[in-house]
Amino acid sequence: MQSPESTSVGLRTPIALELKNLRKEFHVHRGKTIIKAVDGISFSLKRGEILGLVGESGCGKTTTGKLVMRLLKPSSGSILVDGEDTTAESANSKESDFAYRRRVQMIFQDPYASMNPHFKIRDVLEEPLLIHRVGETKEERTEMISAVMGKVKMTPVEEYLDRHPHMLSGGQRQRIATARTLILRPEIIVADEPVSMIDLSTRAEILQLMKTIQQEMELSFIYITHDISTARYFTDRIAVMYLGRIVEIGTQDEVIDDPKHPYTKALIQAVCEPVSGRVGLMRELDIKGEIPSAANIPSGCRFHPRCPYATKDCAEQAEPELMDVGGGHQHACRRWKEI
Amino acid sequence: MNLRDGLDGLRDFWKEFSRVKTGLVGLAILLVFIFLGVFGRWLIPFPDAMKHWQDITYWEDNPQSAPPAWTNWFSAKKGVPSSVLARPKVEETKGDNDVVIKAFTFDFKFTYDLAPKDLIVKMAGDGPIPAKIEIYRPDGTGGEIWRDQLNLSPGQGERISLARSASDGVLGFVQSQNPDIAATIDPTLIKPMTVMFTKIAPDMETNPVALKGEYRIVVTELVPSSDYKIDTPSIEVSGHVSGILGTDKSKRDLFTGIILGIQWALIIGIMTSVISVVVGVFLGIVAAYFGGAVDWILTRIYELIYLLPVLPFLIVISAIFKPSIWTLIILICLFFWTGSFKTVYSMALQIKEETFVEASKALGSGSWRIIVKHISPILLPYSFASMALSIPAIIVYEASVSLLGLGDSTIVSWGQILQAALTQGAVINNLWWWVIPPGLAIALMGMSFAFLGTALDKILHPKLKTR
Repeated sequence: MQSPESTSVGLRTPIALELKNLRKEFHVHRGKTIIKAVDGISFSLKRGEILGLVGESGCGKTTTGKLVMRLLKPSSGSILVDGEDTTAESANSKESDFAYRRRVQMIFQDPYASMNPHFKIRDVLEEPLLIHRVGETKEERTEMISAVMGKVKMTPVEEYLDRHPHMLSGGQRQRIATARTLILRPEIIVADEPVSMIDLSTRAEILQLMKTIQQEMELSFIYITHDISTARYFTDRIAVMYLGRIVEIGTQDEVIDDPKHPYTKALIQAVCEPVSGRVGLMRELDIKGEIPSAANIPSGCRFHPRCPYATKDCAEQAEPELMDVGGGHQHACRRWKEI
Repeated sequence: MNLRDGLDGLRDFWKEFSRVKTGLVGLAILLVFIFLGVFGRWLIPFPDAMKHWQDITYWEDNPQSAPPAWTNWFSAKKGVPSSVLARPKVEETKGDNDVVIKAFTFDFKFTYDLAPKDLIVKMAGDGPIPAKIEIYRPDGTGGEIWRDQLNLSPGQGERISLARSASDGVLGFVQSQNPDIAATIDPTLIKPMTVMFTKIAPDMETNPVALKGEYRIVVTELVPSSDYKIDTPSIEVSGHVSGILGTDKSKRDLFTGIILGIQWALIIGIMTSVISVVVGVFLGIVAAYFGGAVDWILTRIYELIYLLPVLPFLIVISAIFKPSIWTLIILICLFFWTGSFKTVYSMALQIKEETFVEASKALGSGSWRIIVKHISPILLPYSFASMALSIPAIIVYEASVSLLGLGDSTIVSWGQILQAALTQGAVINNLWWWVIPPGLAIALMGMSFAFLGTALDKILHPKLKTR
């Protein structure tokens, strides 16, 4: 097992995490149907950066998170942490898995379900320490737990330690979930819709807290969400996913203020604004229909059946790859100049 | 986890447990049972009963089918409770040629309406000993009612049942008191005990009136020479009522049986249910969690055993192998683990997909940690309920096997007492004390486990807890 010092100081490269052409297929109905949940995505996450992974439900963003978390095995492609290929055969041992989990942690969407209802807050926070054999005595572990609870502003600590998760509010629970991921001092955190189940009133507070901690601890953060408005508020870069692929990626200002892909435009258009005079007005979206099944991906550009600008070319020609328009802003629409 | 953490956990657990009233009641009943199970052998009037439960001669001094002693409180005619007269007054006279005559005087206070069923005099010693028995009544009458030459040898005592052996002597006594009345008595039908404890009157046989007061029973033995010796005799009063819970048709003391049954009920019930539920829950979780070939194999084994009829199978195996109780426990376990397997399997399938299991995996938990820390605790309340529920069934299975003479006859179980009651017509003959106590004991034990189960359920299921 590696010590925390060697993982955080040793091999530091500017890129914390890199996905290369990552794919995940699920075989259902005895292999007759193949669901391509993640269909060849590549991106890199810089150290200390927050990358937003935005898309509709079913677009593969959660699957991507789980692939990064090693909760699922990729069908092909590779995941590089600090330039090391963690999907290689050599990295497939129990020890490397153990070391990996100290470096990469996950915050789950539902803070109600992500904690064992039988555990007290102390047990929830102690579990990672026990798994990784950190802290010799109970006192030592309690000290670490108190420290991390202070970090997520759950004070006074004693008041919460002996409570069960169901005795806390959603926001408090998500703070505890965050504390659990931080206690091992990881480098990368995957947050899967961490605020979508939380009351709107506490959302900003939790996001603010996460951002503060991220900056303090220099964490690299993957923020998975369907809500492009919090993504702008929270992230440094945004990757828009559609049906298992990234269709646009760039800094948050570029993607939101100057979207190139019609899908990104539609997502931005769909954001509700509580502005007087516009409340009664239902937005008419340009895109039509529902996201198609990942088991039956349309030919050509996978967005063409819903795209208002689609032409014959879009349906028949090969799927466009990501194109750079400068400053790392990439998109996958062949008609971007026309629309 | 070190020892201190464990103790802390235990203390916390007790703090929560003590708040659940039903759980405390269940625990209290169970503790009483455990106490009686462990120390019962020093509380029962027949300490060797465990070895001799099926031995008719061990119980021969007891009355047959006698109700409990406390039923006297509710009945118009009080019967004599069974008891033992010991520590007589000894009077020794020396005769010629080393001859010693020993007279043992027993005081017997008789204040009941019904005469004892029998007085059994037990004599032991070594050698040819002439002996006689006299009874002196409170009204000053009385005399010798039995005399004989005993051939005693060590380990081979004599047991004289006065109800059977003293007919002639008692008739002689009546004759000496009132020859007219004696003439009306049929010597073949005389009931010596009734006569000896009744006022002498013309209708004393049909309508006996008890003669109450202090009786003296004198046993005189003659030791011919110093080569021979005798032990102090004792007298068993075989009454109408007996002990705390009466006797059964084979004269066995039922209180002794119930107390001895506790430890076997606990041993059979707890051992079998714990082993079978632990095995069932473990295999259920393993099959659900690992899936694939493990799942397939375990499910097939489960189906195979589940399809076998338990009782016929137990009977056949018991008939062939004549199992001891331990083998029987293992045999019952082989069938009973299926009881919890499928439920646990389906519950575990659901739990293993929970986000907190995924979260724990993301933290680096191995399979066994998830099984032990995350899945098992959720199934614990179910397991305890399942244990509590299976205990009565297990006791009944053991009883059923015992009924057919295929059980372990060296033990005393409630099931065996109940089955004996059933086959020997306790219900028809209104021998309620033979049926209700063992039935109640089984019910109480089942209840205590059920109470414990629900209490644990409340503690281990925080969502059910009132906040």
